[in-house]
Amino acid sequence: MFKKKKAAATPIAAVNTYVPVDTDFVLKDNVDDLEIDTNFKAQSFWKEVSYRFFRKGSAVFGMIMILLITVMAIIGPSMNNYTYSGQILAEKSLAPRVPGLENLGIFDGSEKMNTVNGVQVVNNYKDKGLDDTYYWFGSDNFGRDIWTRTWHGARVSLIIAVVAAVIDMIIGMSYGLISGYFGGKTDMVMQRILEIANSIPRLVIVTLLLLVFKPGMLTIIIALMLTEWVGMSRIARAEMLKLKEQEFVLASRTLGAGSFHIIFREVLPNIIGPIITQVMFSIPTAIFTEAFLSFVGLGIPVPQCSLGSLISDGFNSFTTHPYQIVAPILVMAFLMLSFNLVADGLREALDPKMKGM
Amino acid sequence: MKKYVAKRVITAVFTLLVILLVLFILMQLMPGSPFNDEKLTADQKAALYAKYGLDQPVVIQFGRYVLNMLRGDFGVSYKISKNTPIAQLIAVRLPVSIAIGGYAVALGALVGLILGLIAALRRDTILDTLCTVISVIGVSVPSYVFALALSFQFGYKWHLFPMLYNTAEALNSSVLPSVSLSMFTMASIARFTRTEMLEVMGSEYMLLAESKGISGGALIFRHALRNALIPIITVLAPLIVDLMTGSLVVEKIFSIPGVGSLLVNAIQSNDYNVVISLSFIYSALYIAIMLVVDILYGIIDPRIRLAKDDA
Repeated sequence: MFKKKKAAATPIAAVNTYVPVDTDFVLKDNVDDLEIDTNFKAQSFWKEVSYRFFRKGSAVFGMIMILLITVMAIIGPSMNNYTYSGQILAEKSLAPRVPGLENLGIFDGSEKMNTVNGVQVVNNYKDKGLDDTYYWFGSDNFGRDIWTRTWHGARVSLIIAVVAAVIDMIIGMSYGLISGYFGGKTDMVMQRILEIANSIPRLVIVTLLLLVFKPGMLTIIIALMLTEWVGMSRIARAEMLKLKEQEFVLASRTLGAGSFHIIFREVLPNIIGPIITQVMFSIPTAIFTEAFLSFVGLGIPVPQCSLGSLISDGFNSFTTHPYQIVAPILVMAFLMLSFNLVADGLREALDPKMKGM
Repeated sequence: MKKYVAKRVITAVFTLLVILLVLFILMQLMPGSPFNDEKLTADQKAALYAKYGLDQPVVIQFGRYVLNMLRGDFGVSYKISKNTPIAQLIAVRLPVSIAIGGYAVALGALVGLILGLIAALRRDTILDTLCTVISVIGVSVPSYVFALALSFQFGYKWHLFPMLYNTAEALNSSVLPSVSLSMFTMASIARFTRTEMLEVMGSEYMLLAESKGISGGALIFRHALRNALIPIITVLAPLIVDLMTGSLVVEKIFSIPGVGSLLVNAIQSNDYNVVISLSFIYSALYIAIMLVVDILYGIIDPRIRLAKDDA
């Protein structure tokens, strides 16, 4: 494809000595002759996509949940006076207590305890004389406020997931686009490398990485980056193979555009839909992987916390104080569910022919 | 077909070698040498190095390493259980993990297939919506959340199943871990089955079969499901891999004496030798599964092996 262009370049330049002037081209004044359909006005692509997206209840629900959790992750930790790492050892393991709701008999700070005398209802706030103390989600084994920690954890988890997904997108997308565009030997070599990278289980990559680096936010992001780009690059490559034979690419090339311009300026804007969908799908995976790493003790180091480390902490006492694990688990489950719902909705909105489940 | 199989096998072997190389380099990078004793003289050290082949060129050391790993000689554990051969540690634990993983795959595949079938056959009814909701939740909610919920409800509250794994009643204590592990498999298979079934049922050969007078069970099971099953096999391989990751956490929650919990322990106590051996085992298992699925797929669907031969 490219060889032809080079061979043809010299003779044309030699023969073609005519220099075009402005009067060579005149606009055809045919606005009145053109018949434009006014009954069904042309919609821009994104307008149609957003119409289809917002028509789907589950996608809208997911979107609202994501927004809600994001807002809470930003303002939640500063809504009361506790800090995510501040410990008040005298006030440890208190059940949730919310002002107002406590009068209704729920969230009044009492919890059921299994003792030798059978199940007893205990209210540690009353027993300890903490009449004006409120822990909305309860407090943990070190006397830290679970409300603050949950939203702080959600913030950390979201940052990790979004950063990882964006980096994946950039790497995977470039790899796939380049591989698909150049084709031939380049594609063959790049696909073999990808195949080998894909045959190493994610678990092994993550474990080995953690042997070399210290656990922390950066390590988790690198681990996610190394494992998630494969899926993205597959999609980018498939889309590139579909588009690169189309006329607009040919036109651009005829006008003298270089490969870089064609890949990132011509083709990329046309495949941004599937790519965004894939990003939305990779965010829950990232959240899950982070939570999983924290759970096996390789996640965010203390006193920092993420949803995963909170669940891991809560797990140690989840039979005696179940409320400690409920809040982070619910936030994480809703977060993952919402991202999946939005991704599903987006996929259908972008490609109405494909009606998946 | 031969070319296709040969290509897959070569890729698999090459991948395994790459993994072994990475593991070997990692081992070389680890700080310290096994003979850190200051009392040893240079001569004694040289003698020890000669004995263990550490004076050989790196290439020969690597070759030896590959042979040892393939023979199952992984060295000894340093921390978890001092001086026990790792092969021995793994041999006890691997069957437990494989059993639970196997139950989970079988359960997930079966239930997922049924759910997907129901959803496809009763399209756009309340049953379809219900199956969709179940599968979306199954895909979205991580397996250890299910594990915790099940263990709390069935283990702690109702005492139906043991909360912690008990080797004396292995089958009974495998129920909760297998169910929680199978959720993701089930949900993915259900989604996939539904999409595939809808596609197959809209095809022309189904119309032909129907117009020939075939109906009911024969139509669905012999004509539709068989064709829908082909692509489902491909999703099973990545699902099995997700099971591996999931099993780490689930094994921790139910304190199952499997390889997953061994890996977690090894990572936490910096027992490099064990981590590296387990990484090798996981990779080998994964590559083997991928290879089998690829070949199976080639046998079942001639289009795949022909298309791939061209590439």
